[in-house]
Amino acid sequence: MGDLFAQALNGLSYGVLLFLLSVGLTLIFGMLDVVNLAHGSYYMLGAYAGLSLIAATGNFWLALGLAPLAVGVVGAVVERTCLRPLYRRGPLDQVLLTFGLIYVFEDLVKWIWGGRIRSIPTPELFASSVNVWGAVIPSYRLFVIGFGLAMAVALWLVIERTRLGAIIRAGVYDSEMTAGMGINIHRVFTLVFAFGAALAGLSGVIAGPIQSAYPPMGASILIPALIVVVVGGLGSLKGSLAGSLLIGQAETFGKAWLPGASMLIIYVVMAVVLLVRPQGLFGRALK
Amino acid sequence: MNGHVLARAAALIVLTAAVALFPLAAGTYPVKLLQEILIWGIFAMSLDLLMGFAGMVSFGHSAFFGIGAYTAALLLPKFPGLLAALVAPAVAAGLGALVIGFFSIRVSGVYFIMLTLAFSQMFYAVAFQNAFLGAEDGLVGIPRPAVLGLSIGSTGAFHAYLLGIAIVCALFLWRVVRSPFGHVLRGIHENEARMQAVGYPVNRYKLAAFVIAGMLAGVAGSLYTQFVGSISPSAFLWTTSGEALLMVIIGGTGTLFGGILGAGAFILLQSLVSSYTERWMLILGLTFVLLVLFAPGGIVGALRGRVGLRA
Amino acid sequence: MAQLTRRKFLGGASAIAAGAAAGPWVLRAHAQGAPIKIGLVLPYSGVYAVLGESITQAMELVFARENWTVAGRKIEMIKEDDEMQPPVGIRKTEKLIESDKVDILTGPVHSGILMGMRDKVHNSKTILIVSNAGADAISRERCSKWIFRTSFSNWQPNQPMGGWVAKNVSKDVFIMAPNYQAGKDQLGAFKETFVPAGGKLVGEDYPKLGETDYAPYLTKVRQSGAKAVYAFFSGTDAVNFVKQYDQFGLKQSIKLTGAGFLTEPDVLPAQGRSALGVITGHFYTPLLENPTNVAFVRDFRAKFGGKMPDGFACQGYDTAETIVRALKAVGGNTQDKEKLVAAIEATAFESPRGPFRFDPKTHNVIQPFIYIREVKEVAGGLNNVPFDKVADVRDPGTGCTLPA
Repeated sequence: MGDLFAQALNGLSYGVLLFLLSVGLTLIFGMLDVVNLAHGSYYMLGAYAGLSLIAATGNFWLALGLAPLAVGVVGAVVERTCLRPLYRRGPLDQVLLTFGLIYVFEDLVKWIWGGRIRSIPTPELFASSVNVWGAVIPSYRLFVIGFGLAMAVALWLVIERTRLGAIIRAGVYDSEMTAGMGINIHRVFTLVFAFGAALAGLSGVIAGPIQSAYPPMGASILIPALIVVVVGGLGSLKGSLAGSLLIGQAETFGKAWLPGASMLIIYVVMAVVLLVRPQGLFGRALK
Repeated sequence: MNGHVLARAAALIVLTAAVALFPLAAGTYPVKLLQEILIWGIFAMSLDLLMGFAGMVSFGHSAFFGIGAYTAALLLPKFPGLLAALVAPAVAAGLGALVIGFFSIRVSGVYFIMLTLAFSQMFYAVAFQNAFLGAEDGLVGIPRPAVLGLSIGSTGAFHAYLLGIAIVCALFLWRVVRSPFGHVLRGIHENEARMQAVGYPVNRYKLAAFVIAGMLAGVAGSLYTQFVGSISPSAFLWTTSGEALLMVIIGGTGTLFGGILGAGAFILLQSLVSSYTERWMLILGLTFVLLVLFAPGGIVGALRGRVGLRA
Repeated sequence: MAQLTRRKFLGGASAIAAGAAAGPWVLRAHAQGAPIKIGLVLPYSGVYAVLGESITQAMELVFARENWTVAGRKIEMIKEDDEMQPPVGIRKTEKLIESDKVDILTGPVHSGILMGMRDKVHNSKTILIVSNAGADAISRERCSKWIFRTSFSNWQPNQPMGGWVAKNVSKDVFIMAPNYQAGKDQLGAFKETFVPAGGKLVGEDYPKLGETDYAPYLTKVRQSGAKAVYAFFSGTDAVNFVKQYDQFGLKQSIKLTGAGFLTEPDVLPAQGRSALGVITGHFYTPLLENPTNVAFVRDFRAKFGGKMPDGFACQGYDTAETIVRALKAVGGNTQDKEKLVAAIEATAFESPRGPFRFDPKTHNVIQPFIYIREVKEVAGGLNNVPFDKVADVRDPGTGCTLPA
């Protein structure tokens, strides 16, 4: 029984990490209808920005706060210069452009920070492992779980209960109408995009102590993020959480019980979900 | 109108002749680059049938490339003939497309993209971990087939063989696109609901397109195995699908022959730039970005001087 | 005055005559002055670029020491980025062989590329000196008289560790490696000496290559009752695994051991203190005290801004040393390939790793030692400190029939 609980806890921490990674993507994808393949690049920029901030200040928490802001700014710039002209054009152009951005960001990161594998050191506060009802888990992962769930609640509050959230929702639903009401719709879109990028950057810092940072990481994190978004349903915050928690558990128990299948699990889960619910768990039904 | 068509036909003939005679003028390495462009061109054109005409963006097209490649790799050492080199890979890839297509066509849009991706990644995982398929290093030592009793081991002979197949594939696709079937596909791309209402079995048409595209991708994969003499699981990887996608977009979606141009541009960029500078990724990426922002119809669109789609 | 002039004239005339007689020889030497082309197929982009760089830098160090000249001919290095992708690597290999017409080919890092290159190299009779890829097959059933390897076979760092771990650490071991052939081969070599030494495999797991979350596996390790873990991971997998192993608090009770790649300098800085106390087996560590290595480390750091050489650099050094010595032995004659192959086969010298020589049976390097090392904080940083060693490790070469 202790085994099951320990693995379930592992699954929860992994699931929450996936949530933090994918929530920005579902916002951009679902709300702006933009195919942003470079989402993983913002994750990567967050990790590297965090690395530099920690090297400069020695403080993980400061990095956690500032790195996402830096990434958000980058996201805003990209949206303004590259993506705005493409809103009218189909998704294919967005695919090619954001794919190009993946290459650009990867090489820039390699140029600035070098190609060696780096890693964010575990913050002193959470450097040890703890025993939770018989399950041993690094205290940092408990922090991740808490932080991630708090983040989910905070996001929900912002989007559902604040004026800003209402504006965003309105702008996405009917941009012309919203613009007609005197709201600068372009600024809203830039804000949402920057926010999505910042969230990705945040997850890059959070995941930092557990994983490594290396220039191709943006490309490799893309597939899991896309899968979570699709499983949860595009544009749905609830879906993003549900999808990531589901995949977190499936992957973890799959690795524990089905050796050899670990490469396949995430794809099988997605295939099964899509075949049963073609719009994802909480996505809007497509025509 | 007639003069326009004649001019286009003449240009194509000149281009084809240039490609055919290239081995006489250039060294082995450039010729091999050209051959690789032809192979990937077939792959990209088959994807354009799906993307540009049927409107189905597949991120799992590498599944069929891989199936064709591995089928040839497994059969050619024992049966070095055209059956193993072309027929079997096309059939195997077609069957794969039938199965995958049957499931994938139930969803659309982004979900279709991701589901096709999932299937190709499953193939990757299996090929990567299966000892019979050579595991992560793949299969090596694959001989080229004997064509009508003649060997195509030399670069020149293989060039003729490859060009011949490429021309046949291109012409076939061109005919398909111009046929009633092709028109229905375009109708489905433009307004699926309407076509459904008029009474067309939309899903059956989509599945047929998927299978045709898959078979051609399988031929491309098999040609690749014959070209290199080996194959590795990277044939199934999502990045292989992604590169084909890029080639289609760069060349111009919905232009069919743009696929070959896109393949050429991509492979030349990837191979030549990296021989000269370490910053090739930056250059490649910036090229894509600038291409999208300033040449929206891809290469073919730019050549036509307008934001063009449709062959 | 006149006498001197006449003597001078005679002296000058005989000099001219001698020059005319020697002329043709001088001219031929000049024709052979065409540069010797060394091709490198290595990753210069992506995560493994650091390996490509290390290998290349060490080669440059050796060639620079020789003033980029051997037997009167200039050495020209042609580097090609294989991007760690088999299609690109094979394309570049063909370019180097057919377009650039290299005299000697070196590389690659990726075993898949090596396997794809093998037939091309063998059929075109191009000499290939493998400077990294460890696929056992190249020294076994797929060996070739044209292919040499200065780096290692996957088998070599692992086989001695089995018996050593059973004797010195624990007999209850949980083993792990990524789920691909190389990973299975490495653990297979470990098992060869572990089991006969009385070792018990408490667990055996193969996470997927590129795994980012090892939590389920680490929980299994804790629950298995193992007293030690033997793992093969490299690159980002090694960083993730070692960091998470430490975060789960396993290091105190379950000793972590592994193949050298687990803590090589390409991953050690990222692992940080999590790597302290990890024991690995490898053919090199920059802390070796033999005079060749001391000089190598000093010269490498001087040339490359204080950077410490690693096992990969040692491989590059040995590759370049082999090339230089073999070429000197044949007087710079790259036309007679059989002679050059024989000269390479006979190469023996003092390498930073110890006395270097090829096994004529497999053309694979005979590891003079596999050093057992522990990660400690010494010499101003984290390092693999050697404290034990196993001598003379040669790959069994099963299925290799040289000359082929």
